[in-house]
Amino acid sequence: MNANVSLRDFATPTWILIAVGLVAGGAVGLYEMFFGHLFATNSALVWTLPLVTYIFLALMSTGISLVLAYGLIMKDEAITRHTRPLLIMAIGILLGGFTALATELGSLLNMVWILLSPNPSSPIWWMGTLYSIELVLLFVKLVMDLRGRHGVFDLPLAWGTLVIAAAAAITIGAVFGTVIGRPDFHGAFLSVVTLVSALVSGAAAIVLLRPQSTLTEAAGRIFRQAALVFAALILTRVAYEAHSTVEGMLGWANIFMLVPFLVAAMLLSLAPRLLALVGILGVFWVQYSFIITGQLVSLGQMAHWYGAVQTYQPNIPEALILVLGIAVAAALIKLGEQFLIARRPAA
Amino acid sequence: MGYGMVIDQQLCVGCAACTIACKIENNTPVGFNWCDKITRTSGKFPNVRYEYISTMCNHCDNAPCVAACPTQAMYKDAGTGLTLHDTNKCIGCKACIVACPYGVISFNWQRPHQHWAQRDQLAEGCFSPREMLEESGGEGSPHGNPERGTTYPVVRPAGSVEKCTFCDHRLLEGLAPACVDACPSGARQFGDIDDPNSEVSRLVAKHGGKGLREELGTRPRVIYLRDYTPQRRFDPFRPAGEDQGA
Ligand code: SF4
Ligand code: SF4
Repeated sequence: MNANVSLRDFATPTWILIAVGLVAGGAVGLYEMFFGHLFATNSALVWTLPLVTYIFLALMSTGISLVLAYGLIMKDEAITRHTRPLLIMAIGILLGGFTALATELGSLLNMVWILLSPNPSSPIWWMGTLYSIELVLLFVKLVMDLRGRHGVFDLPLAWGTLVIAAAAAITIGAVFGTVIGRPDFHGAFLSVVTLVSALVSGAAAIVLLRPQSTLTEAAGRIFRQAALVFAALILTRVAYEAHSTVEGMLGWANIFMLVPFLVAAMLLSLAPRLLALVGILGVFWVQYSFIITGQLVSLGQMAHWYGAVQTYQPNIPEALILVLGIAVAAALIKLGEQFLIARRPAA
Repeated sequence: MGYGMVIDQQLCVGCAACTIACKIENNTPVGFNWCDKITRTSGKFPNVRYEYISTMCNHCDNAPCVAACPTQAMYKDAGTGLTLHDTNKCIGCKACIVACPYGVISFNWQRPHQHWAQRDQLAEGCFSPREMLEESGGEGSPHGNPERGTTYPVVRPAGSVEKCTFCDHRLLEGLAPACVDACPSGARQFGDIDDPNSEVSRLVAKHGGKGLREELGTRPRVIYLRDYTPQRRFDPFRPAGEDQGA
């Protein structure tokens, strides 16, 4: 653990940006929890940008866990040498997602209650449970790493994380895929989308946030392959939606969604961090698109209140929840870097 | 034993008495209707067809909202077949709203019924709702039907969903749901639809009938009888004096 941290370490442009994000987003989050409703929602369009933020960050964290677990299982030194920073990233990003989820649920306690009154037929219950286990596993690994305890438990823990992380990502897709009355959601396809998008955004986050030649190469390889698979998935969906005659299906996929993945996968070596960011934005676009589009057709009597098909544009408070989630993740990652990763002693 | 409702489309006149009765009985907030409608216009002039389909929770046997709810806040009551909701367990995740294929669940984004307590007058010289209550010596919220509170909070909390309960508080007293009693044309009938000898089952046996979006496998407990056929009500080409009744 690094004790040589002074207040001056926080007087940096990054920390100032993080502080602004925490204050602005935190104010909206607290207002939403305790005083009134600010989001652009109604009874027919209930999951908007704050939930997209949670899913985006949770899946990105899952992707980082998957890459790390892969590295540990395959004994890929380029990855395992960065175990601690990757664990900090995965934990920070997941907690950033949980923060956005808490504002969406209106209370932190509601997140705990999920575990206390279980319904095993509910994908949301599984999602909550799996992500809780995932968080515990990540903390256990971090504590073991901090204490220098490596040995017989490393491999089982890596396998455990791999299975739980993959199951969690698939379950997020199932939250939407098990909805029978909304054709843009229904089916197993979204579970594949969430799993692959987790890998794309997680590997891209490693390239973006931890620029280090061998790690960038290892994570970049995974990113490129996952991005190409993701592009193929989107293409399949575009073709399906173009031919679909399913009543009530609007179609969330778009041929232009292929562009960020193809460009980033093919040109990654030219500008790894920039193109990793392009990949991350592409994943956000896809996730935002399917989550929102699936709810735009009003069902039954809701059509009288909100029109047969709604439109949605995030409002400023919702955008600030996205900022809050990212700011919490960034703050935790920076704190982890400053306190838990040993710095070189001053010359 | 399992409650169910039949709605005879040939008898329904589209007056929305059911909607209003439900609103009064259950204190639903502004912008929420537990009992509502779908309207459909089809055809080409002059052969235009307009349908009014009264809607509410279908108390599905295979309820997607119950399967989706992570905390069992939305549950099936084994004794009555009703789909009920426990506000104490509800975490406001809205999975039930997304899962319900009928759009009959509403979410309390804020504490409902908060405006009655304000002292603002709509126009100068008018009473505000609070002043009116004070003037008349009344107590509590003017929206609150205390009988509703025997099985479900009179005012549901912020951060919780709400939906039709088939007036379970009235069923306990041996009464029919408020919408059934309010229907002026007797289009709505209520009873034990699991009993083949009940009146509702006999009506279904006589006329046939179907639930909404049955193809989804939800097994709704609200069954619609007979499509509305306007000619049977009023056919301008029938000779004068001939019975125009249903
Ligand atoms: S109509 Fe909707 S709310 Fe009612 S039981 Fe069926 S799925 Fe649940
Ligand atoms: S909003 Fe409440 S009732 Fe609906 S699924 Fe979530 S916890 Fe269950």
